[in-house]
Amino acid sequence: MERYRVNLMLCGGTGCIASGSLKIKDALADEIKKRGLQNEISLTLTGCNGFCAQGPILIVHPDEIFYEKLTPDDIPYLVEEHFIKGRPVQKFMYKEPEKRAAVPTMNDIPFFKYQVLRALRNKGLIDPENIEDYIARDGYMAAAKALLEMTPEEIIKEVKESGLRGRGGAGFPTGLKWELCARVQADQKYILCNGDEGDPGAFMDRSIMEADPHVVLEGMIIGAKAIGANKGYIYVRAEYPLAVRRLQKAIDQAKEYGLLGENILNSGFSLDIEIYQGAGAFVCGEETALMRSIEGKRGMPIPRPPFPVVKGLWGKPTVLNNVETYANIPQIILNGAEWFRSLGTEKSTGTKVFALTGAVNNVGLIEVPMGIPLRTIIYDIGGGIKKGRKFKAVQLGGPSGGCIPESLLDTPVTYEDIVKTGAIVGSGGMVVMDDSNCMVNVARFFLEFTTEESCGKCPPCRIGTRVMLDKLIDITEGRGREGDIELLEDLAQDIIKTSLCGLGQTAPNPVLTTIRYFRDEYESHIYEGWCKAGVCRELSTFYIDAEKCKGCGVCAKACPQDAITGEKKKPHSIDQSLCIKCRTCYEKCKFGAVKVGPRDMFKEEMEEVEA
Amino acid sequence: MPRLTIEDLKRIKEQHKAKTALREGAYRVKVTVHMGTCGLAAGAREIMNVIMDELQKAGTTDVVVTTSGCAGLCSREPMITVEMLNSPPVKYCDLNEEKARKITKEHIIGGNVVEELAFVQGCETSY
Amino acid sequence: MEGNILIVDDEEVVIKSCERILSPAGYNVKGATSGEEAINILQNGGFDLVITDLKMPGIDGMELIRWLRKNSPHAGIIVITGYPSQESIRDALQLGIIDYLPKPFSPELLLDITEKAMNTVKAKKIEEKPVEVKDVEAKIGEIMSAIGQNKGKPGALIPVLQQVQEILGYLPPTVQRIIAKELNLPVSEVHAVVSFYSFFTMKPKGKHNIRVCLGTACYVKRANEILGKLKEILGIEEGGITEDRKYSLETVRCLGACGLAPVVMVNHDTHGAVDPVKVGDIIKQYN
Repeated sequence: MERYRVNLMLCGGTGCIASGSLKIKDALADEIKKRGLQNEISLTLTGCNGFCAQGPILIVHPDEIFYEKLTPDDIPYLVEEHFIKGRPVQKFMYKEPEKRAAVPTMNDIPFFKYQVLRALRNKGLIDPENIEDYIARDGYMAAAKALLEMTPEEIIKEVKESGLRGRGGAGFPTGLKWELCARVQADQKYILCNGDEGDPGAFMDRSIMEADPHVVLEGMIIGAKAIGANKGYIYVRAEYPLAVRRLQKAIDQAKEYGLLGENILNSGFSLDIEIYQGAGAFVCGEETALMRSIEGKRGMPIPRPPFPVVKGLWGKPTVLNNVETYANIPQIILNGAEWFRSLGTEKSTGTKVFALTGAVNNVGLIEVPMGIPLRTIIYDIGGGIKKGRKFKAVQLGGPSGGCIPESLLDTPVTYEDIVKTGAIVGSGGMVVMDDSNCMVNVARFFLEFTTEESCGKCPPCRIGTRVMLDKLIDITEGRGREGDIELLEDLAQDIIKTSLCGLGQTAPNPVLTTIRYFRDEYESHIYEGWCKAGVCRELSTFYIDAEKCKGCGVCAKACPQDAITGEKKKPHSIDQSLCIKCRTCYEKCKFGAVKVGPRDMFKEEMEEVEA
Repeated sequence: MPRLTIEDLKRIKEQHKAKTALREGAYRVKVTVHMGTCGLAAGAREIMNVIMDELQKAGTTDVVVTTSGCAGLCSREPMITVEMLNSPPVKYCDLNEEKARKITKEHIIGGNVVEELAFVQGCETSY
Repeated sequence: MEGNILIVDDEEVVIKSCERILSPAGYNVKGATSGEEAINILQNGGFDLVITDLKMPGIDGMELIRWLRKNSPHAGIIVITGYPSQESIRDALQLGIIDYLPKPFSPELLLDITEKAMNTVKAKKIEEKPVEVKDVEAKIGEIMSAIGQNKGKPGALIPVLQQVQEILGYLPPTVQRIIAKELNLPVSEVHAVVSFYSFFTMKPKGKHNIRVCLGTACYVKRANEILGKLKEILGIEEGGITEDRKYSLETVRCLGACGLAPVVMVNHDTHGAVDPVKVGDIIKQYN
C-alpha cells in the first residue's frame, strides 16, 4: 500500500452529504491536484461520524485534527495553510463549548504565523547527526531524481525557471551561473559552497549547517551534476566549530551510504566533497578571494573577467554558491519551479532566511516569503521594539548594506526594492536599532570593520575607507567640521566606482545610507556638538530632568563614579565633574528622567553663575 | 554498507519513518531538545540532563529524547518540543532546571500539557 | 666590554658623569631624567642594563623596576641610591635587581659593578632559550606529523597552519620557518598567509583564551564595555596574555550567536547575554 503523509477522512454520512460534503470532496480533490499533492495526501470518504450537526466534517490524520462546518470556499485556504504551510486552521476547528485551547497554536503567534519554512524545513525537526532522520524527510530524493532521471540541461532549466537567486548577497541568478559553467569544456570542474558567513550580525548559514547539514550536501550533488564537477569544497569559518563537526559527520555518513563518492546511487556520477576551514578574513566571502584561500594563499580578490565559472579554483571552471542557496535546491528539484515561484515576487522568488537581531523582542532565525514588508518582520515576527523604545533603523546587508529608516518600513523585501533604499538584501543579517543607537557611530562601526578587513590590494578600498573612517572618528569625537558630510559623500562615490571587488564597492553603503536618512544626526554632531542618543561620549552631557525624577535612587546606586546624589524621593542630580558618561544611569532609569544634552550644555550655565 | 540504490533509499525512508513514528506500544512521546550554538550556550545540555534524570527516576521507557538544531527563536532558548501521540507538538521555551523537571513530570510522563509554561503548539512545517 | 645601558636619574649631572666613565669602556650609554622618559625609551627594547635612581618625582625607581620586570624581564637592573635605606634596597632586591650603587660612588666601583652585571645579563641570555623555541621543541613530533599529513596536497599551507596552531596555540617565527622548509615554500609566503588571516596569531594564547564578540548585535549591546572591563580585570590589552599564561584576550567579528548578544567565548564555551559588570564572574569559573 502506498503511504501518504496526510490522510483525509471526510465524512460521507447522510447528514454530512446533506450539508454538502460531496462538494467539499470535489473542492479538496481539485485543490490537492492543483497543488500537486496527490502523492502525499489521500482522501477517503468515511461513514457517519455522528457529529452531523457540525457537518461537513473533515478529520486529518495523523494530526487528528477535526474540522467542522466547511464550505467549498474554505478549501483553498485550508489546503494552503494546513497541508502546505503546516498550520492547522483554528477557525475551522471543532471547539468544545467549555474548553478552549489554553496553549496557542502557531497561527496565534505572529513569530510563527508569517514564516514559511523551505530552506529551513528541517530546522528543529531532525537530528542533524543522523542521516536517516534526513532521509525520512525526503532527504536525497531530489539528488536521486537529478542523478537518475534528469539531464544536466533539465536540472539547469528547472533551477533557472524557479527564479532562484544567490542567497549570499548579490542575488545573481543561480541557474544562469550553472549554465555558464556547464557550457565550458574542461577536464576538471569544481563546485564550492560558501559557508564563510562573515557579516557581523548574520548567522543563517551557521544555523543551516548545524541543523540540517545534509541539505547542503544534497544541493551540492545536484549542482555538481548540472555543471559536471566531481570535486567539491565547503568553505566554513573556523569560528563555527559545531557547524564544521556536523558537516564532517554528514559527509562521512553520506560516503558510508554511497551518497557521496564513486558512482552515487549507481548513477555513474561521482562526487567527493571536502570541508575547508577558513581562517578569518571577511574578504574571503568574495568568490575570487575565497578560491585563492582554498589554494592556500592570501585571500585576495582578482579582477574579473575571467569569471570563476570559466577560470576559478586552480584555474578550472568553478561554481560557488551560498549555503542557503544550496538548501533551496532539493525542494526545487522535487516540487518543481512552479512550486518555488508560488511564493515571492516575479523577480525575487521563493523565501529568504534572515537573522533577526538587535532591539526587537523576538530574536531569531526566520524564513519569510520574498515581498513581505519590513514592518511585518519587525513588528509582527520580531514582536516590536524592546523595552517600549522607539524604532530608529533596520540594518540590512551588514558592512555592504545600509540602514533603512521608519519612513521606508513598508518596503517589500525583494532584491529590487531594498536596493532602492540604498541597502541590499545581503546574506540576511537584519539588525534592528532603536533610539538609543547613534547612527553616526553605527556608520563608524561598519567602516572600522571594512577598514580592518580590507585586504589592501587596491588603494581606493585600502586608503579610501581609512580616510572616511578618520573623518567619522573626528565627527563622533567632536572634531567634525563644516564640509565633512559632503567630503564623505564625495569619497564614497569614488570608492564605489574604483574598487576592485565587492568589499570596497559596497563599503561606503552604511555611511551613505545613514547620511541619506539621518543627516540631522550628522549635523547635530558637527554643528551642535550633540550626540542625541548619548553614545558619543565627547558629545553628550547626561543630566536628570527634575520633573520626571521620582528619586528612586536606582541611578545613584548604579553609578560607578558615585556622581549622582539626592535625597530619597526627591529629584537627584549628576555632578558633571565626576561623570564619565558611561550611560549606566541612562539605561537604568525606568522613568526616562535621565536625559542627554549637548556637550556644552553646562558651559553656559557655569558662565551665568559666574556672571 | 553496500552501495545504495534508489530503492534502498526509499526503503530506509519508510523504515526510519515507521521506526520513529509515535504509536501505541512503542514510543508514546518524543522530546526534542534544540541544540544549536544558541541553545547550547543558553544551557540546553543541562536541560537535557534534567529530563533524562527525571525519566530515569520514573523508570519511563516509552519516551524518546532526541536532539536537533536551532529552533529559530534564539532569544527564548533553551527550548524543547514535546510531541505526544495524537496531539500536536508543544514547544516550551526559556527553560531552566525547575521548569524542565515540571514539564517532564506533568507533560512528558503525566500526559498533561503544562499550560502556563507552554509557548506554542503545532508544527511550522509539514511537507 | 659591549652593551646598551640606560641611566635614569633626575639629576642630569649624574647621567653625564656615568656616561663619561662608561662610554670609554665600550658601552653604549643613554640617559633619561625621569621614570616617564625612561619607560618611553625602554618601550622599544634593546637595553641590556638599566641603572636607575630610586627617588625621583613622578614615576619613581621602584615603579620603573616593576614596569621593567613586567615588560622587559631580560634587562638587568642596578639601583643608585643617595639614601641607602635598608628597606628600599630590600624591596628592590626582591624585585630581582642585580646590584646597587650607594652614592657617592667611585668610577672604579661603577665600572666594576657594571661589568659584573653585564656578565650576568649575558650569561642569562645564552642559558635562556626564547620561550617560543622551547614551546616548539616540546611539540615538534606532533607538529611534524601534522605537516606530514597534508604535505603534497594542493593548498596545504592553511590547513597545516590551522593544525599547528591547534597544537601549539600560536605560530611563532620558529615554527613558520619549519613549515616553510617542509612544504618547500618561501618563508615570506608562509608569513604572508599568517599575517593575512585574523585566525592566525603569532602571540601565544593563554590556558584560557577569552574572545569578545564585536559583531553588530553585540556592539549595539555594549560589547565594548565588556572588552574594557576584561582589559581592566586581566591587566592586558587586546591580543595580550597574562604573565602566568593563564588568560589571553582577543576580539572576534561575530561569532554568529547574535541572539544571545553580547557574547563572550572562553575556550570553546559560549557565554551569552553577558553583563559588563559581571564579566569577572565568568572569568573566575576558569582556573
